[in-house]
Amino acid sequence: MAGSDIEARPKQKVDRREEPTRPGTFFVPAVDIFETPEELVLVGDMPGVPPDAVDIDLEGDQLTVEGRVRPEEYEGLKPLHVEYGVGGYHRRFTLGEMIDRENIKAQMKNGVLVLRLPKAQHARARRISVQTA
Amino acid sequence: MGFAYRDPFQELQRELDRMLEGAFGSVGTAGSLYPPVNVFDAGDAFVVKAEVPGVEPEKIDIQVENETLTLRGERAFTEPNQQAAYHRRERGAGQFRRVVRLPGRLSADDAKADYRDGVLTVRISKAKETRPRRVQIQAGS
Repeated sequence: MAGSDIEARPKQKVDRREEPTRPGTFFVPAVDIFETPEELVLVGDMPGVPPDAVDIDLEGDQLTVEGRVRPEEYEGLKPLHVEYGVGGYHRRFTLGEMIDRENIKAQMKNGVLVLRLPKAQHARARRISVQTA
Repeated sequence: MGFAYRDPFQELQRELDRMLEGAFGSVGTAGSLYPPVNVFDAGDAFVVKAEVPGVEPEKIDIQVENETLTLRGERAFTEPNQQAAYHRRERGAGQFRRVVRLPGRLSADDAKADYRDGVLTVRISKAKETRPRRVQIQAGS
């Protein structure tokens, strides 16, 4: 049997010291974070979270991402075999860059959050070209 | 003694946790098969849920045969431009194929799949002989 190229990473529960704002079980979303000269981009897996159930909060250099799932999908279901826990997502990041908060863009599609954080103008690395005579 | 309000979803979350710990120990070294699936009993059907965030639903191939469900697909990797420098890279990408054996015979032509917010839900009716049946007690003569 051919398997998969991808390995499933067991979902990690959110540390008790970093409680989310709502009750219930919360997991740490897996993320990719990359940086270009203009922006920081965070891509996070939050399966089960609809676009209107995501909260993004930037306070100082602390970025918090939280998402909630729809409990009604599980009504009348009795678990027989379990490989992953079900719950919301919560994760906090410390940003090392000044962000232009007015232009943050968030998109949620197929359970994946794409968060674009443009760097503040004065924080962008400026390229200085050397003039040749 | 007062009434304790029990949120049915929180009860389910706790039960899933208990079953996870029972299956893999509390360390959380769950099997690395992708995608992870949960199987539920819904009375006359089995419901299989799989977490496949970021996969376009039309790229998932689902097959039901005898007692098995096979999921196949690909999670595409979105390569950013050349200037990007990665700080973290935790999300996997690539092809997947997962065979799930269900605890009973299936009625394969009676299966429905739904993809919502990165979770695939496949509902497959149980074959007639494995559905719960109500048995009438015959009145004695």
